[in-house]
Amino acid sequence: MRFLGFLLRRIVGIAAVMIGVSVITFAISHVIPADPAAAALGDHATADQIAEFRSAYHLDRPVAEQYAIYAEGLLHGDLGRSIRTRRDVAADLADAFPATLELSFAALLVSLLVGLPLGVWSAVFRGRLPDLAVRLFALAGGSIPVFWLGLIVIGLGYYQLGWFPGGGRIDTFVAPPPTRTGLYVVDSAIAGDLDALRSSVLHLVLPALTLGYFSTAVIARMTRSSMVEVLGQDYMRTARAKGLRERIVIFRHGLRNALIPTVTIIGLTFGSLLSGAVLTETIFSWPGLGRYATASAVSLDFPAVMGVTLLAAVVYPLANLAVDIAYYWLDPRIQRG
Amino acid sequence: MSYRRLAILFATLALIAAACAPGTTSGASGNPQASAGGASSTLVYYADVSDLISLDPAVAYEFSGVLLVHNVYETLVKFEGADLATIKPSLASSWDVKDSGAQWDITFKLKSGVKFASGNALTADDVVYSLQRVIKLNKSPAFLFTDIAQLKAENIKATDASTVVVSMPKTASPQGFLSILTFTVGGIVDSKDVKAKEAAGDSGSGYLLDHSSGSGPFAVDHWTKNSEVLLKANANYGGTKPALSGVLVKHVPESTNQQFALEKGDADVARNLSPQQIAALQGKPGVTTTSGNSLLLVYVGMNATVKPLDNVNVREALRIAVDYDGIVKDLLKGNAKKVQGIVPAGLAGYNDATPFQADVTKAKALLTQAGADKVTLELLVPTGPAPGGVAWADLAAKLQSDWAKIGVTVTIKQTTQAELLTSYRAQKGQLVMILWGPDFPDPDANVGPWTDYAAKSIAFRNAWDDKIALKGREAALITDTAKRATAYKEITDYVLHNGPYVVLYQPTELFGLRSNVKGFAWNPMGWLDFASITK
Repeated sequence: MRFLGFLLRRIVGIAAVMIGVSVITFAISHVIPADPAAAALGDHATADQIAEFRSAYHLDRPVAEQYAIYAEGLLHGDLGRSIRTRRDVAADLADAFPATLELSFAALLVSLLVGLPLGVWSAVFRGRLPDLAVRLFALAGGSIPVFWLGLIVIGLGYYQLGWFPGGGRIDTFVAPPPTRTGLYVVDSAIAGDLDALRSSVLHLVLPALTLGYFSTAVIARMTRSSMVEVLGQDYMRTARAKGLRERIVIFRHGLRNALIPTVTIIGLTFGSLLSGAVLTETIFSWPGLGRYATASAVSLDFPAVMGVTLLAAVVYPLANLAVDIAYYWLDPRIQRG
Repeated sequence: MSYRRLAILFATLALIAAACAPGTTSGASGNPQASAGGASSTLVYYADVSDLISLDPAVAYEFSGVLLVHNVYETLVKFEGADLATIKPSLASSWDVKDSGAQWDITFKLKSGVKFASGNALTADDVVYSLQRVIKLNKSPAFLFTDIAQLKAENIKATDASTVVVSMPKTASPQGFLSILTFTVGGIVDSKDVKAKEAAGDSGSGYLLDHSSGSGPFAVDHWTKNSEVLLKANANYGGTKPALSGVLVKHVPESTNQQFALEKGDADVARNLSPQQIAALQGKPGVTTTSGNSLLLVYVGMNATVKPLDNVNVREALRIAVDYDGIVKDLLKGNAKKVQGIVPAGLAGYNDATPFQADVTKAKALLTQAGADKVTLELLVPTGPAPGGVAWADLAAKLQSDWAKIGVTVTIKQTTQAELLTSYRAQKGQLVMILWGPDFPDPDANVGPWTDYAAKSIAFRNAWDDKIALKGREAALITDTAKRATAYKEITDYVLHNGPYVVLYQPTELFGLRSNVKGFAWNPMGWLDFASITK
């Protein structure tokens, strides 16, 4: 019951955020001193075409009225029509979002598989060589530009070694699996298509490593510092005194308690993975949301920009909600209140 | 608890390892199916096709769309190869331009036996439907019919199953209209097929957005948005059958990635390589490079409504001061042609005079003569790369330093192209650097917008000159080729020294190819005939 109330409050919160975000984004995208018609119709458009365009997108009305029209559509689940692609924004998002979601999940998986053990290792060997190495690795992760890293990764993994494909979501001559979730790995597993599964997993490796490096570094650092703190606690000494094996002491007694701040970071990281994939998507020809957002912004495609922003406004709180639910599971004290 | 988690972890790792292990070899050899399936004769074309919005001939007006549509639809008449002066038969076996007193009547006789990819026979009804559809939809390329050719839907009629008559007002140029018909907007669609797919009065534009219904050598197999377009050879094509079974256009925005894929043999063509990348590819095994002409001009518009740009001597001084050779040789690594007139090389009416080159003394003298000693101007510049592979910002810096030598201070303002066009259109620019490409391969496509303010295009944004506007309008209507050439020579000579433009260069297009790709001939109109390519 308490949990349901908590969930309800969160959902109301998300709705409020969306209204705020939609007003602000709409206002910003309509005060830019450039004409979307110029961007959409190019240098050669006639006055008639520009007028027709402005009327089709209600650009000839006052901004408040334009917002009212947009908000009404939104309430009916209509995100409008993209100026650039001339398709429904909802359809564009349905194409691009799963690609980014898949890449973000893969990057998160990389950063958990690498970042958590590195953090624990670093804390256990605090002040010694492994600790130093991990801290250097984490420092680099926070400071290497993604664009440069991507080119190095692709140069090595694709061009030099030839172990992984150089871009895209699936091999050119492998048919994508039938769409269920839009995540190729999941869809090809559901369809039992091993060729597609292998190809889509392989295509994920390099972009996930590139995108995941930053969050790996963040998670490693966070895990290290909370582990260092936990390792000094009395209950750790007690566990050791009971004669438990070191591995159990560290993972069951140590890591579980150290995970709580890390989980917060994971939630935030996932949100930033979703919105921060622009450069990775460009380098790896990944047809995702980041590239869609950039292309839309550059061509002043405000319905598309609104759509992307609203989607982000939903995803961020949802990621945080997932984090809060994870707290319930990790820390019994929160459940009992 | 922890054991269960550990087990899940191992299971996940094992799954990933299993998925990766056999792939290690296939990744190394490129596409595993390449030798087994039909992929061996599919041309893999890597390009940044982020501009692609529709494959409909009545809608497409972007470089990528035009390239694809050109290979899927046929037109009534065409240009062959790089010759953009002689109109040749295509779907029309012959045509006749008649002066009927009040109007021009152009009669097209259709070739018999032409079939669409669907198997339907091509008739005069398809031609009328296709051309009227352009006017009805009124999308980006429609102005070529409605404004340039001044057509209305009822001006296009079928008189029998193989004859189409188009009537044009005497103020429009028949020669210009024939040139327009060679462009993708003149592509003929299968009216029976498209009508069956119409939805809510969209004239089938929803269907043709990502499907095709033409008679060209290829047909659209699929378009996965933001990823790829696959064209497959059209079995019902009446002309010489293409050697390729398909063309796969992959959307790869990052040029380094294009270069890697080309060297690895995953790509047959890399479309967006920089001059530096092209240089790096020289001598690499299995790879070759080629270039093609474009009809683009990169120029600076000088708004003659702003002082002191209203003074012809100030404009001439700015033109004279620029180091064009330095731009072409150093900034563009030779990847451009020095052109200073308003018609690009390759089009009829091209004027090869290049009288200007960094003459500081003469430029200063002209400024003194104009009484303009302290000139400060704003230069609007787009973001990103300019045609030819140099950043717009670098070009702007070069101009700034050239003009500083004659005492003209220029402040550079860089904005997105959309923002720049908004200011430029509203006559709010002072100096504006941008590019121009003709809409159809006829001198009028440049001379009209560049001289005639009534066209509400670039002449309007920079200056008014009634006399030259009138001369441009007259030249467009001349049907005698020699007389027309003389008229355009006079106009381009005049604009060269009096106009409000500094024409900087005509860029060249660069391509990386696999050595086994033959028959690759880039057309200055911005397309390739995939049907003549082998690999």
